[in-house]
Amino acid sequence: METFFNILLSGILLGGIYSLVSIGLNLIFGVVRIVNFAQGELVMLAMYATFFCFAKFGIGPYFAVFLVAPLMFLLGLAVQRLVLQPLQNEPMMQVFATFGLLILFENSVLAITRGEGYSLAGTYSRAVIDVFGLKASVSRVIVFLAATGIALALMLFLQRTMAGKAIRAVIQDRQSARLMGINVSRTYLLTFALGTALAGVAGALLAPIYTLSPYIGGNFILAAFAVVVLGGLGSVPGAYIGGLMVGLMESFAGYYVDPALKQAIWFIIFVVVLVVRPSGLMGQAGAEEVGLREQN
Amino acid sequence: MTPAQHEGASPPQSLGAAMLKYAGLLLLAALPLALLWNNSSWVGILATAYLFAALAAAWNIIGGFGGQFSLGHGVFFAIGAYTVARFYLDLGVTPWLGIFPAAALATIVALLISWPTFRLRGPFFAIATMAINEACFALANYSDAITGGPRGILIPFRAGLSNMIFIERWKYALLMFAFMAIVVLITVWLRRARLGHYLMAIRADEDAASAAGIDVLKAKLQGMALSAFLTGIGGGLFAMYIRVLDPPSLFTLPDIGVKFALIALIGGIGTIIGPVIGALLIVPLENFLRGWLGGDIPGGHLIILGAILVIASLFLKRGVVGALIAANRRVRGRR
Amino acid sequence: MTSFLRVEQASRRFAGLLAVDSVSFAMNRGEILSLIGPNGAGKTTLFNLISGQLKPTTGAIILREDLINNLPPHARAQRGIGRTFQIAKPLIGLTARENVMVGAFLRHAGHDAAYAAAAGVLAEVGLEARAEVPAGELTLSERRRLEVARALALEPELILLDEVMAGLNATEITQVIELIHRLNARGMTFLVIEHNLKVVRAFSQRVIVLDHGAKIAEGTAADVLSDPQVVRAYLGKKHGAHA
Repeated sequence: METFFNILLSGILLGGIYSLVSIGLNLIFGVVRIVNFAQGELVMLAMYATFFCFAKFGIGPYFAVFLVAPLMFLLGLAVQRLVLQPLQNEPMMQVFATFGLLILFENSVLAITRGEGYSLAGTYSRAVIDVFGLKASVSRVIVFLAATGIALALMLFLQRTMAGKAIRAVIQDRQSARLMGINVSRTYLLTFALGTALAGVAGALLAPIYTLSPYIGGNFILAAFAVVVLGGLGSVPGAYIGGLMVGLMESFAGYYVDPALKQAIWFIIFVVVLVVRPSGLMGQAGAEEVGLREQN
Repeated sequence: MTPAQHEGASPPQSLGAAMLKYAGLLLLAALPLALLWNNSSWVGILATAYLFAALAAAWNIIGGFGGQFSLGHGVFFAIGAYTVARFYLDLGVTPWLGIFPAAALATIVALLISWPTFRLRGPFFAIATMAINEACFALANYSDAITGGPRGILIPFRAGLSNMIFIERWKYALLMFAFMAIVVLITVWLRRARLGHYLMAIRADEDAASAAGIDVLKAKLQGMALSAFLTGIGGGLFAMYIRVLDPPSLFTLPDIGVKFALIALIGGIGTIIGPVIGALLIVPLENFLRGWLGGDIPGGHLIILGAILVIASLFLKRGVVGALIAANRRVRGRR
Repeated sequence: MTSFLRVEQASRRFAGLLAVDSVSFAMNRGEILSLIGPNGAGKTTLFNLISGQLKPTTGAIILREDLINNLPPHARAQRGIGRTFQIAKPLIGLTARENVMVGAFLRHAGHDAAYAAAAGVLAEVGLEARAEVPAGELTLSERRRLEVARALALEPELILLDEVMAGLNATEITQVIELIHRLNARGMTFLVIEHNLKVVRAFSQRVIVLDHGAKIAEGTAADVLSDPQVVRAYLGKKHGAHA
């Protein structure tokens, strides 16, 4: 029985990780309707940047996040403006371009670090905390709390601020939003940059947990897509709950079935959600009908 | 008055004439081989280029004509490779025959995967196929019995025509060239046939396509079946050429699955000769880059390829062939 | 006489909105029936119910005595229903000829047969000189004609035209009316959504008026257009019908 609770806890914490990584992606999907294959790489870049802050300047990740996130925001602005905006109406080219960025980022980091594995883990992840009698690593709990906090903050932002309302309007109907005087291009720019900054936060907070490798982005991108499909496009609570569910599924499947099959889990999630409920748990438009033809 | 006799209506170019035209272009593509057959390293590059041209052309059927961006073709490629290898090693079946069950198996898997995922529009289809690739990568690492697990399968060198193993590299190049020619000529046929028109209609506008009487799912499945079948054969040929099969060399997306698409993009998505041109550009380039950068800068050649992908998607969407066609029309003026 | 197309109490609801409200009518072979009504009346939705892009929430669509509610669009095309879309959907990436061949392939399996059939249709709509032009480069009027051509290539018995005259000049409108009459003389049945009331008077044998999803009038063009309820729906209480 204790095993069960351990797996449950580990699933929830893993879910927190996935939620944190996916919230940014979900927002980007929902608003800009662009598939960003490079999202996992953005997290990876942030992880390395965080490591760099620690190794070079001795700044811990929980402080570095305040440096890394704004830098990622700027990177997001650049990517959106230079690469994605010109490709607004060309979904196939978006796949090529973002996949190209994926390869570019991944191998640039590989070239710079020469494949050395870096780790913050030693310093940070040894700390363990007691959660209802079970042991959990502090860094993972922090990620979970951060994911929850960010999800709440984002929901407030979307509900209460003008910028947030503009974003929600564009999610619902970009033509009408435009007619209402909302600068849709600027909203895209802001949202993509915000999504990138969120990836930055995720990267910084995950740096203590994972051994850094240029290829770690690949781990996150598929899980993030599964979360987005499951949770529904453009829905922050959907991304949060979806992340938890994917984490739990992976945790349980990993234990009771086989750890090597986790990629299969993600694919199964796609298919099942598609067949049963294409718009996901809380989405307004589903993976089925995100007809990328109406992307302008 | 029969419709074909309408004044001003140009009679259709016959299939034979179209085939001849492309056969001519293919012979041009054979020129490097004819000139360099003595040079083992160039021949090796050409063999790989011809093979990847064929694979890109096969991908182009569903990805280019059909507009369904599949990142999962590595799976069909791998199934072809493993099947031919196993049939050869365990059952002693000559690869010349083994490629058929290999292709059939690849096709069946393709249909099983596609039937649920074709419901997805646009990039979500790409994502799902990427997930499949990763899932199969994991499965291949896992199933030692069939795939040899992470260590893979080694096909011992025993030269012989019936083994499809050759001492001279130019024979491999010739084999790959023949395969490429067959795939390209199949595309010539497809482009004119009903299925080809249906796929292009689907790419353009699925709603208009179904209003025009097209059973969209069925057409997509047919296109995918043909594409996967040919990709499976390619995988089988690859197995007998490289003779070392392990999951990373078959499932790594930038090397295989995305490479097919990249070559089609550079050459010209949805064109017939585009994949050939793309392969003849990209494969030697990559080879050169690997030699030049590979040692000093790990992953250097991929940095360049990644950059090429981004730049091509922004500025060379129609590929080399597309750009040439557009320039030609500009020069001729609008008809 | 059994009717060719029968729509019985068809309704279509979208969450809170009842876009089509219990509409019933019948068409015989060879009729030209116009469907008119103010914007948002549900005309295109009704088209979608007939050609299969949408399924009715309640009610029946019956073609030649077969209930076709559950048939997908391509199956209805096979059964002889062709349609154009209000915003023309040319198949980009294909030439005009290839666009029409896409339709022709439904009835002709081989390339040459489809080519010949398409050539005939292109001539019929006057696009034969532009056959090799990529669809993306055609003018608005040409795109409209291409829409019609692709539907004609299906060799339909019933063709649904959705505001095919919009944006055309007087000459072009006359050409389209002539085309419709020519095809009708050969037995083709037409259901036409049209805003241009002059055109409606010119070729309709019968007119149906929709307002807020419901049928409010049916009859000849003259009768319907002087019906006070119709006038009110279109123009408000103060004005008389003019066209």
